[in-house]
Amino acid sequence: MIETAEAKARPMPLDQARTFLSRSGLLVGLILLFVLLALFAPNFLTTRNQLNVLRAVAFNGIIACAMTFIIISGDIDVSVGSAVAWASSLLGVLAIKQGWPLWLAVITVIAQQTVVHGLAGYIRCKWNVPAFVVTLTLFMSLRGAARLITNAYPITPFPDEFNFWGGGYVAGTIPVPAIIMVVTFIIFHFISTRTVFGRWVYSVGGNEESARLSGIPVWRTRILIFAITGLLSAFSGVILSSRIMSGSSNIAEGLEFDVIAAVIIGGTSLAGGEGSIFGTFLGVLFIGLLSNGMVLLGITPFAQEVVRGLTILFAVLISVWQKPIRK
Amino acid sequence: MAPILRMERINKQYPGVQALADVDFSLEPGEVRALLGKNGAGKSTLVKILSGAVKPDSGTIHINGEAATINSPRDAFELGICTVYQEMSLVPGLTVAENILLGRWPTRRQLGVSVIDRREIRRVAQGALDQLEVTLDLNELVSRLNVAQHQLVEIAKAISFDPRVLVLDEPTSALPSEEVEVLHKVVRHLAEQGRAIIYVTHRLQEIPHVADSVTVLRDGMHIGTIPVEEAVPERIAQMMIGVDWRRTEYLRDSQAGEVKLSVKDLNREDVLHDISFDLYAGEVLGIAGLLGSGRTDLLRAIFGLDPIDSGEITVDGSLVSDPSPITMKAHGVGLTPEDRKLQGLVLPFSVRQNLTLASLDRVSNRGVLRRRRERSLAEKMVKDVQIVTPHLDARTETLSGGNQQKVVIGNWLNTLPDVLIMDEPTRGIDIQAKEQVFNLVRDLARRGLAVLFVSSEIEEVLDVSDRILIMNRGRITGEVRCDEVDIETLLALAMEEIEND
Repeated sequence: MIETAEAKARPMPLDQARTFLSRSGLLVGLILLFVLLALFAPNFLTTRNQLNVLRAVAFNGIIACAMTFIIISGDIDVSVGSAVAWASSLLGVLAIKQGWPLWLAVITVIAQQTVVHGLAGYIRCKWNVPAFVVTLTLFMSLRGAARLITNAYPITPFPDEFNFWGGGYVAGTIPVPAIIMVVTFIIFHFISTRTVFGRWVYSVGGNEESARLSGIPVWRTRILIFAITGLLSAFSGVILSSRIMSGSSNIAEGLEFDVIAAVIIGGTSLAGGEGSIFGTFLGVLFIGLLSNGMVLLGITPFAQEVVRGLTILFAVLISVWQKPIRK
Repeated sequence: MAPILRMERINKQYPGVQALADVDFSLEPGEVRALLGKNGAGKSTLVKILSGAVKPDSGTIHINGEAATINSPRDAFELGICTVYQEMSLVPGLTVAENILLGRWPTRRQLGVSVIDRREIRRVAQGALDQLEVTLDLNELVSRLNVAQHQLVEIAKAISFDPRVLVLDEPTSALPSEEVEVLHKVVRHLAEQGRAIIYVTHRLQEIPHVADSVTVLRDGMHIGTIPVEEAVPERIAQMMIGVDWRRTEYLRDSQAGEVKLSVKDLNREDVLHDISFDLYAGEVLGIAGLLGSGRTDLLRAIFGLDPIDSGEITVDGSLVSDPSPITMKAHGVGLTPEDRKLQGLVLPFSVRQNLTLASLDRVSNRGVLRRRRERSLAEKMVKDVQIVTPHLDARTETLSGGNQQKVVIGNWLNTLPDVLIMDEPTRGIDIQAKEQVFNLVRDLARRGLAVLFVSSEIEEVLDVSDRILIMNRGRITGEVRCDEVDIETLLALAMEEIEND
């Protein structure tokens, strides 16, 4: 057909261009923010500050990869902050109070959260309980469990060498968590764009019924996405413990909403089926720079929260305005 | 007797279609008129004009001898015309009484606040039910009622407006046989009260039980109105089809081979009863049945979308113990669903992504997509099934209906199936696209595919199939070869009810 011949002649189709534009919209915003902060925020441009921003966003960034999959698949997970605290507390109890070898404690913590979240995914599919409800349960009970086993006191001390993962540097300057985050993003970008599983995630969120009728294992996809979220939350909890060098039940409060915000700012649609890991990466950086800049500018924490909140609305409005009006 | 409703020279044009052409229609008080016609004959347009949902381009309407204009549903109510549509308009979380008076709840003042007067609601609702001479618990939630009871609540709701003309749009299409009788009794009873009733239906069998006369529409024209005594199936079918319809002959040169799909004693409560048939390689097997005949339910059951109570499904000689889309796909069976947007496509996906949705294992290696392979497979399919798209990465939702349908078919052809089940593949697509789909279906059969074909357009089934199963109320009630049957006979067969044994 003539039409397909044309396809080859047009390397940048309209839709791709539009996708690029909506992404670059965020990119432009990010650059703008960067320039503004460079001009007005003291010490913003120093290497040290830049690397600090990267480390600060790493813990959220890692989880944001999984959250992107959750939201693309049309679900939501509000439990990741509690999962981080639970992972940290459990790590402290197992490695310090129980005296387990550190590596075994780490593996156990990550494995159990993978299973717990996988189970949440199973419950969501089997009884069609909204993901919000299932993860709200986890949000409350994991935080509670964390305080229960620690009496809400931080557990110390971890062996000194453990500090490398959350507080260490490679080549003397680059924070280890930042590297871990970037690697995670690369892996998830690959999964989302180049693998069958990635395609499953998008199709389940884009139209679950069509996916099911096409023989795509909808349950397996959803359960896997939840399991991955548990895995990355616990993993992030482990390196956060390494950063603060204690097992603590009081960390990561409100983290879930920062993560969800980053994903939404990154252009992923809450309706499911659309979004990208790259967009989330930009979203994470955007929030990180904004927070950092506001600290440097001396804006009070309460005002910072107001600004961050409004940013989410603004980002979503921009993406709504960019979309062509559908018939 | 003077007619209560007289419509004269009614015209209605939609882009490209003359939905109604100079239609005259009149009704007398106490008359039940069955309104028949194929899909697109103009029945729903006529009903919509009466209910105020659409305005005619020209023509006059007289109610009780007085000229009337119906510009809105409200006008229709005030003129005493009420319509009960197929789609339920009840609120499941409210009671029977509250639904009958939906949005018109009487209030009283209590402690200076206006509150809903429950006693009054029940009194008025009971009055409506009394006119129907049926008993229903007024306090029962509608969500706890069955389909037949829903229908009665709908009618009671209409009757609470005390209409002179009541329009019932296919009221029995979703009802089980034993409930149909109750509905007929209600309709007759309402007619005895002097109300005129328009009864849209597809079921010939019920006409003698309920109607006094029959009007047939075809291509927007009033073909004739005859007394019920003359309304034998052959006559009706003739009026519905007309003499100018000609069968399109597609090349039927494919050879039926071995049995590919075998269904034995399939049962699903209230929906499917003792369904057995064989589908051969290289043949197109059509299913002719009306709305509510269970044709879609049968396809869904075979493909494992709905559970079955008993029965065996065998593909290529091996029994499928747990039918599901995944297992059926593994057995080489595909299904193109009736609603392409809700069930067939992921609309935000590109044409390429939708074309490989069911065949990702073919374009991947150890779970990693082979993008060049995916592109070439999609490109080939675009050519094979003649999808018109600006490029492979166009969003599927920007395509026309016909091309979207071809994407759905292409998605399944990419799985290299032996059996393709097609549910309404021509719904809502233009004539040119339809012809392409039919040619494609015949071509697939020629290549040895076994095709199970369902369409609500009975002519299409006849045009494209080799063999046709007649379905009625969840049963297979007959089988014909396409070269041995004419359209009138086929339509009469599909519309005939088989009396319950």
